[in-house]
Amino acid sequence: MTFIDFLNLLIAALLLAGIYAVMSVGMTVIYGVMKIVNLAHAGFMMTGAYFAYEVYERLHLDPILAALLAFGFFFLVGIAVHWLLVRWLPPSDRPTLQSLLLMFGLWLVLQNIGYLIWGNTDRSILTPRTLDLVHLGPITISSLRLVVFVAAVGCMALLEVALSRTWFGRSVRALIQNRYAGRIVGVDTEKTARLTFGLGIAFAGVAGALLATLFSFDPDFGRPFLLRAFVIIVLGGLESVSGVALGALILALVETFSILLVPAEYQPAISFGLLVVVLVVLPGGIASLWAKRRRLA
Amino acid sequence: MGEEAPAGMSTAVIAPSRLEARARAGLPWLLLAVLALLPTAGLTPNIVRLLFITFVWVTSSLGWNLLGGFTGQVSFGFAVFYGLGAYTAALMIDRGVNPYLSFVAAGLVPAVAAFLIGLPTFRLRGPYFAIATIGVSEATRVIMNNLAITGGASGFRIMEHRPFRQVEHYYTALGVAALAVAASFLIAHSKFGMGLRAIKQDEEAAADLGVNPYAYKLAIHAVAAALTGIAGGVFARYAAFIYPQGVFAFQTSVYILLMPVIGGIGTVWGAVLGGVIFGIVEEQLVASFPQIHLLLYGGLLILIILAEPDGLVGLLGKLFRRLRTPRRNDGDTNSGGRKADQVLRRAGGG
Amino acid sequence: MKNSSFLGKYAHALAAALLLAVVTSLLAGCSKKAAESEGIKIGVVMPTTGREGKPGTYQKEGIELAIRQINDAGGLQVGNRKLPLKEIFYDDGSDSAKSAQLTERAMSSDGVTAVIGGYSTALGEAESVMPDRYQTPWITPGAAASSIFAHGYQYAFGTLTPINLLGSTTAEFLGSLVDQGKLKKGLKIAMALENTDHGVDYGNGIERWLNQHPGYFKVVFSEKFDLGGTDFSGLLQKVKQAKADIFLSDAHLQDYITMQRQYIQSGMHHQMISYGARGPEADARKALGDGVDYIFAGIWWSDKLPYPQVQKFAADYQAFTGRKVDSWYAATAYEAVRALAAAIQAAGSLDKTAIRDQLRKLEMKDSLVPGQVLKFGPNGQVGYAFVMVQNKPDNKVDIVYPKDAATGEVIAPTPVSK
Repeated sequence: MTFIDFLNLLIAALLLAGIYAVMSVGMTVIYGVMKIVNLAHAGFMMTGAYFAYEVYERLHLDPILAALLAFGFFFLVGIAVHWLLVRWLPPSDRPTLQSLLLMFGLWLVLQNIGYLIWGNTDRSILTPRTLDLVHLGPITISSLRLVVFVAAVGCMALLEVALSRTWFGRSVRALIQNRYAGRIVGVDTEKTARLTFGLGIAFAGVAGALLATLFSFDPDFGRPFLLRAFVIIVLGGLESVSGVALGALILALVETFSILLVPAEYQPAISFGLLVVVLVVLPGGIASLWAKRRRLA
Repeated sequence: MGEEAPAGMSTAVIAPSRLEARARAGLPWLLLAVLALLPTAGLTPNIVRLLFITFVWVTSSLGWNLLGGFTGQVSFGFAVFYGLGAYTAALMIDRGVNPYLSFVAAGLVPAVAAFLIGLPTFRLRGPYFAIATIGVSEATRVIMNNLAITGGASGFRIMEHRPFRQVEHYYTALGVAALAVAASFLIAHSKFGMGLRAIKQDEEAAADLGVNPYAYKLAIHAVAAALTGIAGGVFARYAAFIYPQGVFAFQTSVYILLMPVIGGIGTVWGAVLGGVIFGIVEEQLVASFPQIHLLLYGGLLILIILAEPDGLVGLLGKLFRRLRTPRRNDGDTNSGGRKADQVLRRAGGG
Repeated sequence: MKNSSFLGKYAHALAAALLLAVVTSLLAGCSKKAAESEGIKIGVVMPTTGREGKPGTYQKEGIELAIRQINDAGGLQVGNRKLPLKEIFYDDGSDSAKSAQLTERAMSSDGVTAVIGGYSTALGEAESVMPDRYQTPWITPGAAASSIFAHGYQYAFGTLTPINLLGSTTAEFLGSLVDQGKLKKGLKIAMALENTDHGVDYGNGIERWLNQHPGYFKVVFSEKFDLGGTDFSGLLQKVKQAKADIFLSDAHLQDYITMQRQYIQSGMHHQMISYGARGPEADARKALGDGVDYIFAGIWWSDKLPYPQVQKFAADYQAFTGRKVDSWYAATAYEAVRALAAAIQAAGSLDKTAIRDQLRKLEMKDSLVPGQVLKFGPNGQVGYAFVMVQNKPDNKVDIVYPKDAATGEVIAPTPVSK
């Protein structure tokens, strides 16, 4: 394999990592703060994809702009879902099966709504930019992937700022570390949980909108990405945005370079296999290797 | 019916009469007899098929319930066992092996697989275990999709050089379902079953009391997988054509999980009810209505998680109790009786 | 721990109502109402929803057009009466298990004389178990994998030529381009095949021709991909690295569109590119614009075939559905009905085995298919020739092979786009 080939693969992996990161960060914050494994994340990503599709078809807005709109729209949707369903769950500092199955039920409902409205033929978004290419010397990149990457990095950066500079961010980080201690020092858990859920769903919607520009989608869209999001959470841990970025990078690199060793048919098994291996070998995620915090209670 | 109840207590809960107890024990046998005689009543082949598939689902539901309901380990990956059972039976029957022997093998192969899968994954708790099972399930599907001996993604066709008799399949499925019900009751009322329940409620406490959670989980996982595998095998023989996207699908895992949860997780009749509803609704919806079953199951699941964790069985139980308990009109809300109901229900379990 | 008081006591009533709804639904949908009036019941099992909904709908339309025309002409002579054909339609939602179940239901409980069904190999394979089990003739206008017909079934028929012939015709076509001097000898081929019998047959057909004609081309890469994927970038990376001159894939409509989009985005270029039996579909044009230019395909039928019956069919289809006929789907379904009708008429009765025997002997001249003759082989599958078509700029499609059916010149190698 030549150096150019290697560089091509590396860049492909990098672009992919950006997308993966923005896709999993929504699930990470919800899990970190509320210890809820949000299986409906897949459903919201799917809804985000169709949101971008409809916005593009009806309003002829560029899908990247649609992603921006999606943020606001899905933030409100997340708050609504929390108020309707999630707040009835008993709070816990460990993930419960109750929450798992509830979000799973929600995912099924979302999928079916998707089928009813859009049927199960694949949809895709074709813009003038879709087939455009950017040439950097001998390297060829799809300009769309580049734009999506930039958008993804932008989102992550904004999130990082929000988490480190605002009162909300401080509350979130406090609750991630220890829910009870957070309460003791005065963090408003109810409000933080609600806003976090909204934020998580907002990111799911944005991720879905961005992914819709790259892939075709049907109502079952979210599932392969859901598993990848788990892997990333497990790999990168929950502490920070950079943890998610790290996890995304590792997964993207493994997936991209594994095609050299593994036939294309077995590719989907890579992320699944990695998930199981990491879960079993490192139940605390790679982050646990350098975890310094200690739990109270 | 029985003695006069003291004020504030409902008789039926505190002291079921002998008649009622005997009726309750005889019910499963009566049901079995009715189902065994049904084909002679001149049903259309379509109805027979409907019942057949319902029995297959009921068996899978009961299998999952052993691990998820009794022991509290929620697995999203039971399609692996269903599929392995289907393929084992298919490969053997196609080569001329006696179908019933093949069904036994269809139980053994998934049991071994369950043991191997359980070894690493049972070190994980709760949702992590559930997520790991998703990973295993999908990985298995991808591998089976590409395995040459089983035909890969093209599927596998069983050429059984025996005439097709639908009633034979019906009775096989009925027998297997009855076996599953019997096994569930036996386990539920055994010491092993109590150990499982202890693990479900509090794993550490159970360990302190001398139960080995890891070993128990591995064991029940194998039994659950065996039942599910036999169900898969029975199905494969009828369908005569199976393929990985069908029997190993994530959707299949989902359905197997939904049935006992909706019917009443942890109870034998709940798993049966879930399987029945699922089998009948699913098959009817296929022919009549557009795809709304995910909406139905998802909605039921949400309602059950939030309102009635004991599933439809719990719901029906509450309704019957409400109907039976005479309403006092002197302002006494019968709270004493209701509290007693709750205490007894929680302690009685299954 | 605060117990969830969601909806309180109303939840029980709600859930009870749901249970009632479930029971009512199953009582309501208990049996498919069969046609009340007299007629020859034909079961039609096609996907009109789901992944294969588009092509399935086209096949259904072809079937219904044929039935309408036969009934308008008075129906079929059976014994001493003329009976119309009555269609009982089942949508299998592109799900194989449902497809098998509905076929079984049609044959066992709904009393059909024959079933026409199975668009796409997967659905066809599942359905193919039923005809022999219930001794009812079954014709598939949409499943071409030879494995369906390789098991000695007695009641299964198909109006699509086997896929390995598609593979060898494709290779033969490319060979002819070398002979004409449009392509150089010894070019390298990269293949990406769908992971089904369809893909396997295609690959085998190509390899067989290459073995019989050494020196023409060399296969440097061949891998399979799963149907229904959303991301082929990994596979395409490998294709890119294989540095081949010709890219041959075998895919269903959705995967063709997805893969071609990612193919263009990866900046690749090959001298010839094909997606097997897909290429000129209107949906692909709509999704990718001129991204599908110069793609060639081997299809079972084209509305550009120079036979008068083909022109008539295209016009009738347009009048019936209000749309131009899209690719080959409707035509093979149309011919399946006509073949069945001819067999019923020849048998003079509704005896399924007699009809089956007549199907075996059938030789339908004036057929729409290339070669104009429809005849089932000993294993139940037909064997007419494929036509190769190529997408041209400005939304045009030309038949480019065989020469006597050609409507335009093939453009090879594919021009490099800016």
